[in-house]
Amino acid sequence: MIQSSPSKRIIRAVLAWTVVAIFAFPIYYWFTIAFRVEREIFELPPLILDWTFSGKSFQEVFGISFGYDGGTSQLAGGGNFYMMPRLLDSVIVAIGSTILTIIIATFASYALSRMRFAGQHHFVFWILSTRMMPPVAIAIPMFFIYKQFGLLDTYTGIILVHALMNLPLAVLLLKSFFDDIPSEIDEAALIDGASRWLIFRKIVAPMAIGGVAATAVLCFIFSWTEFLFVLTLTQTGLKTVPVVASTFVTSTGTAWGNMAALGVGAMVPAFIFILMVQKNLVRGLTLGSLKQ
Amino acid sequence: MSMRNEVKLLEKTDRIATAVARRAPSPVLKAPRFMLSDHALPWLAPLLAVLLVFALFPFFYNVWLSFHEFVPRKRALEFVGTANWEKLFADSRLWGALLITLIYTAVCLTVQLLMGLGIALLLDSDDPGFGFLRGVLTLTLVIPPAITGMMFLLLEDAQFGVFTYALQQLGILGTAPILGTSSTALIGVMVADIWQWTPFMVLIFLAGLRAMPTEPFESALIDGASSWQIFRRLTLPMLGKVIAIAVLIRGIDLFRTFDYVYVMTSGGPGTSTYTLSLYAWQQTFSFLNWGYGATISLFSLVVILLVANVFVALTRLRW
Repeated sequence: MIQSSPSKRIIRAVLAWTVVAIFAFPIYYWFTIAFRVEREIFELPPLILDWTFSGKSFQEVFGISFGYDGGTSQLAGGGNFYMMPRLLDSVIVAIGSTILTIIIATFASYALSRMRFAGQHHFVFWILSTRMMPPVAIAIPMFFIYKQFGLLDTYTGIILVHALMNLPLAVLLLKSFFDDIPSEIDEAALIDGASRWLIFRKIVAPMAIGGVAATAVLCFIFSWTEFLFVLTLTQTGLKTVPVVASTFVTSTGTAWGNMAALGVGAMVPAFIFILMVQKNLVRGLTLGSLKQ
Repeated sequence: MSMRNEVKLLEKTDRIATAVARRAPSPVLKAPRFMLSDHALPWLAPLLAVLLVFALFPFFYNVWLSFHEFVPRKRALEFVGTANWEKLFADSRLWGALLITLIYTAVCLTVQLLMGLGIALLLDSDDPGFGFLRGVLTLTLVIPPAITGMMFLLLEDAQFGVFTYALQQLGILGTAPILGTSSTALIGVMVADIWQWTPFMVLIFLAGLRAMPTEPFESALIDGASSWQIFRRLTLPMLGKVIAIAVLIRGIDLFRTFDYVYVMTSGGPGTSTYTLSLYAWQQTFSFLNWGYGATISLFSLVVILLVANVFVALTRLRW
């Protein structure tokens, strides 16, 4: 990177920290809601720094007490609200659909990047257009197919529909990452008698690993946060976090503390996933250095 | 000239090499036979299988559904001809929903693009702490939009909301609730969307910025170019395709927005936050007008297709 003067660097740092702090504020506030005493949620003026800690909400939602010993309480939804199995459902669905999407999309985008065929531009646009339908319009036909084939309430069903949702995005992104790798490398290998499969497995895919990681993160996030498909395609069986959250809004009011605890707890697995692929992510972000 | 000859030569050797490779597959790795070819189809086959089953079927099902209507009394679908389509063009709520969806998409997209670009440029530094800041910014993305909606519902609450309180103290906002007043409700929802998705733009732009070679920038500096000139003549053109793709993807998702309005306002007050996706959902599930719901969805698809096509043509995106 180009070095700039110290004063400019200080101004830049101050600006950067300010902007990120503004974006982080709602998360911080949500975090305090998850861990504050219930009556303080509705205090005026709103308490931002001097709130009182309580593990009650978290204990009710996840069964992790943080020193709170008020016993197991009954929520408006009825019964114990331990969310660990729901968190597991979310993890299985998100990881499953991410793996499926990445496998299908790397194959397809390698071909789209390296092999030209007639109507390719329109073909890619068509792939993209499958993301353009309002989610309701996909959910309803899916419901009937799934009912027919017994896929309602199954991991397979949700994983498939999330893969479908993510494929256009993944193909587009991966293609642009593959495009960044010079095709001379392929050509040299082809001349040496390597097959396309070998080149893909041993050369191009490993080189694009950073791009693959970045795409995987986005697919994971989109699946992790998806609401409508899970809402319509599950009945009593599995439920992911966003759908569970909607059950915290009841006719007797919203369980804000529990909702916030769920929101905070749900950030943890997603963040662990991002950290796990982070090492590759950094390489993906500096992929262009290959060109030099 | 010589460049072109070289390419031609390369293509020729490419063909020969492939032919050789096909005859003598590498003994190092066993590959699926169909993958050895130089044709695109085998590589695209899994994608095609998924898209044909899970994207084409819903499309045709909706087309079929749009010529039918659910009759609750008989608990069955009946053929109604073009009635749904005629209803569509006379439905003032639909055109209102389209207008709101377009405003929502245009405003959010513009703000997210400009802020995303600005923040990406700001965070594109190797100074200590910047990696951490980039990490913190991704946190907004892992929160499900349904929960984000709840979060902002609390922040913008008429009585206890932090945002409401701050705006009231600054004298910007009166006692009217943000989400309960038709003139401000849409802004209230857009704030949640902008908060959540600006970092998405930042991440994509940062990936583009960090992948750029440094030489052109160094030589531009040596030649005495100003920061604005460098941005205008170097950064922006080199980032062009990344920007176009990010705008396209985000634009499509914004146009189909559902979670925020569903959770925060359910379209209200009145119809001030009624988006097309929400209207289609409501027609389908609240009024059980399955056929009309499908018609609205198809109408929405047609609008996005048109806009996306124009966008691709204008930006000269080629895949």
